[in-house]
Amino acid sequence: MNPRVRTLAVSRWQALREDLIRWVTRRHRADGVQAAITRDRVYILPTRQGYLLLLILLAMLLGSINYSNNMAFLLTFLIAGIGHNAMWYTHRNLLGLRLKVLPIAPVFAGESATVRVRAEDDSGRDREALHMTIGAYQSGSAHLEAHGASELEIPLAPLPRGSHGLPRQRIATRYPLGLLEAWTWLTLDSEVLVYPRPVAGTPVALAPDASHGEQAEVRATLEGAPDEIREYQPGDPPARMAWKAVARTGRLMVRDASIGAGRPIWLDWEQLPGTDIELRLSVLCHEVLEANAAGHSYGLRIPGKSLGPGVGPEHLANCLRALAVFGQRPPVG
Amino acid sequence: MIATLFTRPGASRSQLFGLWPLLAVVPIAALPHAWEQPLWVTGVVAAGWLWRSFIHATHARMPALWLLVALVLAGGTATMSQFGTVTGQQAGTALLLVMIALKLLEIRSQRDIVVTLFLCYFLVATTYFFNQSLLIAGYSLISAWLITAALIQVHAGRPFPITRLARSAALMIAHALPIMLILFLVFPRIPGPIWGTPQPDTVGQTGLSERLEPGDIAQLLENENTAMRVRFDGPPPPPRQQYWRALVLSDFDGRGWRVDWDRPEHAPLPGGDGSLSYEVMLEPTRSRYLPLLDYPDQVPDQARLLDNLQAVAKQRLDGRVQYAGAARSEPPPAAPITAWERDRYLRLPSRAAPRTRELVAQWQMDHGDDESAIVNAALSLFAADPFSYTLRPPPLSGDRTDAFLFDTRAGYCEHYASSFAVLMRAAGIPTRVVTGYQGGQWMETGNYLRLRHADAHAWNEIWLEGRGWVRVDPTAAIAPERIETGLSGLFADDADAPAFLRRSGLSWTVHWRLQLTDWHDLLTYRWEYLVLAFDPERQRELFARFGLDPTDWRSILIALVVSMGAIGATAGLLAWLSRPRSGRDAAQRALDRLSRRLARIGLARRPDETAAGYAARIRAQRPDLDPMLQDFTNAYVHLRYAALGPSDATRFQKQLNHSLRTARTRI
Repeated sequence: MNPRVRTLAVSRWQALREDLIRWVTRRHRADGVQAAITRDRVYILPTRQGYLLLLILLAMLLGSINYSNNMAFLLTFLIAGIGHNAMWYTHRNLLGLRLKVLPIAPVFAGESATVRVRAEDDSGRDREALHMTIGAYQSGSAHLEAHGASELEIPLAPLPRGSHGLPRQRIATRYPLGLLEAWTWLTLDSEVLVYPRPVAGTPVALAPDASHGEQAEVRATLEGAPDEIREYQPGDPPARMAWKAVARTGRLMVRDASIGAGRPIWLDWEQLPGTDIELRLSVLCHEVLEANAAGHSYGLRIPGKSLGPGVGPEHLANCLRALAVFGQRPPVG
Repeated sequence: MIATLFTRPGASRSQLFGLWPLLAVVPIAALPHAWEQPLWVTGVVAAGWLWRSFIHATHARMPALWLLVALVLAGGTATMSQFGTVTGQQAGTALLLVMIALKLLEIRSQRDIVVTLFLCYFLVATTYFFNQSLLIAGYSLISAWLITAALIQVHAGRPFPITRLARSAALMIAHALPIMLILFLVFPRIPGPIWGTPQPDTVGQTGLSERLEPGDIAQLLENENTAMRVRFDGPPPPPRQQYWRALVLSDFDGRGWRVDWDRPEHAPLPGGDGSLSYEVMLEPTRSRYLPLLDYPDQVPDQARLLDNLQAVAKQRLDGRVQYAGAARSEPPPAAPITAWERDRYLRLPSRAAPRTRELVAQWQMDHGDDESAIVNAALSLFAADPFSYTLRPPPLSGDRTDAFLFDTRAGYCEHYASSFAVLMRAAGIPTRVVTGYQGGQWMETGNYLRLRHADAHAWNEIWLEGRGWVRVDPTAAIAPERIETGLSGLFADDADAPAFLRRSGLSWTVHWRLQLTDWHDLLTYRWEYLVLAFDPERQRELFARFGLDPTDWRSILIALVVSMGAIGATAGLLAWLSRPRSGRDAAQRALDRLSRRLARIGLARRPDETAAGYAARIRAQRPDLDPMLQDFTNAYVHLRYAALGPSDATRFQKQLNHSLRTARTRI
């Protein structure tokens, strides 16, 4: 995993704010996949609305004093009491919550990933109006029943290719009156993996600089030779179905990777022309997906790494990950 | 660096949750003002509310900004031209109402809704400028409850069922009540306004008039509203001694009597004879008199006592006032009357009451200078037949005194007191008229005396050489029941009398209404006594009980910290006692306790050990604990991992506790 990413300070104020948050949270344990919101990490401050109500209450108090109006005193103090207790209500709405970040489904560059955090209550209280923010991205409002659970979904904007750590998260609530906000900062650990955007390589683009004669073979194998098709047997995955052959023969036919396994396809960085790294990765990504869909056994060769040959979802994931993190510095620690 | 990618603005826009609760709350909070504000203000609120409701229902377009600006300016101008100001109590409230109405048309965000709801809280508080009745107290509590419910809906993030909103808001109010009470009692009170003068309370503006003309009190006598309430220290005096003197009228102009404010203060009162102390809650009178029980012995702090034993407040009583006094059974020794004074109390306009003067001349011929004989002659005149006591006397024409004494001969206290005074003055006996209250209703449930406006009364005081000013009540001659049992004794069976005076011939609905008003009066009294009359003086007494002083900020701080601490501790304790406990937690705690106990013999549970594994290890060392361990593990596993109904959970809980206890005795 990448080292945790810090928000880049855009302005001096933001830098100060970052320093302040780091200073405040320095005593927090680093969260792993899950975190419990304990008393020592819930912060609470009045909101702008809270200060506004305070101002209105002051005006009411002045009026009460001036006209020695005991009923106005009573109302003022009643609302002040409600405002005071709101501290407790809001604090309790967050306290004792358990949060767990769910694995984030990898996306291709240009798509947006969604962070899902599961919130659970086991202190027997309903929770209302919880919001989570990651950087500038916000979840909707979530609520959970006593002893229940709910998911907070934070859609991110499309990120560039690579493996990204989640920056610090903030979960907050202003329920029930919006006078105060209780929040805590979390460092839930997860990875946003962004694969290269698949780009279909044209034959021209793929044309070798002649020294590598294998290219023609690559193209040929990708199209799928007839002898790699056999009749369907129970247990064959539906993804292997060779629909063209089914249409042609009228029987159920599948592609058999093991037939072609003897002749794996090598998807090789070196065979792609040009110097644009991202384009090359995109084309390779596309080829990997094609090969996988076709059920071929394939291998991936990129500078510094060689994977496969192999088949299956795990192999696919490994290849795509290798493409995603290409050029990224390896994780430290 | 990559994380800058996370700082792009998100695209989430909040919905307008809580607009409908706001629309529901505004008319409720504004309603009490409809009675106090000019019609156009109510109209503006209604129009703004209807317009916004229409927009909400049909998704019509919001009014344009220029229109809103124009409306705001128009609203301000209208308020200014109506009241000449925008800051007074009524003008300020009118402006607040208009601005809330216009704010409704401008709400575009959640924040706007919240601001408007806050203004509604303020609007509720302004209600008290005009009315502080118990009814308004209850009503405004409901308003505050609904505003709070609306605030919850705004921040709930999803639509709540109405029942839940209502319950949550009610709970919040209930939780806030102790804090309200503490702040109310502890917050330092200062007397009097800092700026401006309070608007007169619009409730109960009737009272005794500073001028008395026979026929005036008539409206009062039909008025069943409470004028004052009295609590006695000890048993109440008999009705015939309950003369509450308010005004002393000494100048007669031929038609009526006028009060005499400009008098020197009474000499300091000597200590009374086993004086009777009492506490009065006087409804607003818009005058300066304070009724005191005859004969005054102690004067309330907020008043001066004039030499005619009339108490004058230092300022006009536009609000309710509470004061303490004491009475003595005999009048305080009076200074001898000066010739000038004597002349004043004898003065009659030269052309007034010629026939009356003739009658008096006749009496003087019969009795000579015997003052008491003349007084008796006058009283027997009233007691004799053609004179009657009625609340609806025929109108008087010509000279009032003559018309009453010789023609109509029917009237009530005013007629008798006024003509008696004229008779006495004509006979050369210095006389004055006193108005105030007499009788009243003893409220058994609340243990207080309730005096209605209807209990207003007028009587006389005559100056007798050697005795000073002596009270004479001519009404007692014609209608002794009026004095002994009050008006209701007189009219108990009179079908023409107002319902509240009668004791028979009432339909049960009227009877119940009267019962209800009695209860209402009791509650009102309690409310006024406990809440509205809480003032710097009462606060000082309260603080003194704890050896504190409300003018010392350290005292206030101590009171605040101690009481809030007590409340906080109580709340914390209650929360701790009612904390939800699942069987799972209980099982875990039991296991921890077992481990702590077994640690003494070196058998603490290792963190990675399961309950069953732990039990097996103990069993190996201490086979004697086996039956207990089996029970324990069984209960533990069920509580921890099985989905149990409540009865099974209790059973396993008992089993767990029992085995734990056994284990502890054996180790």
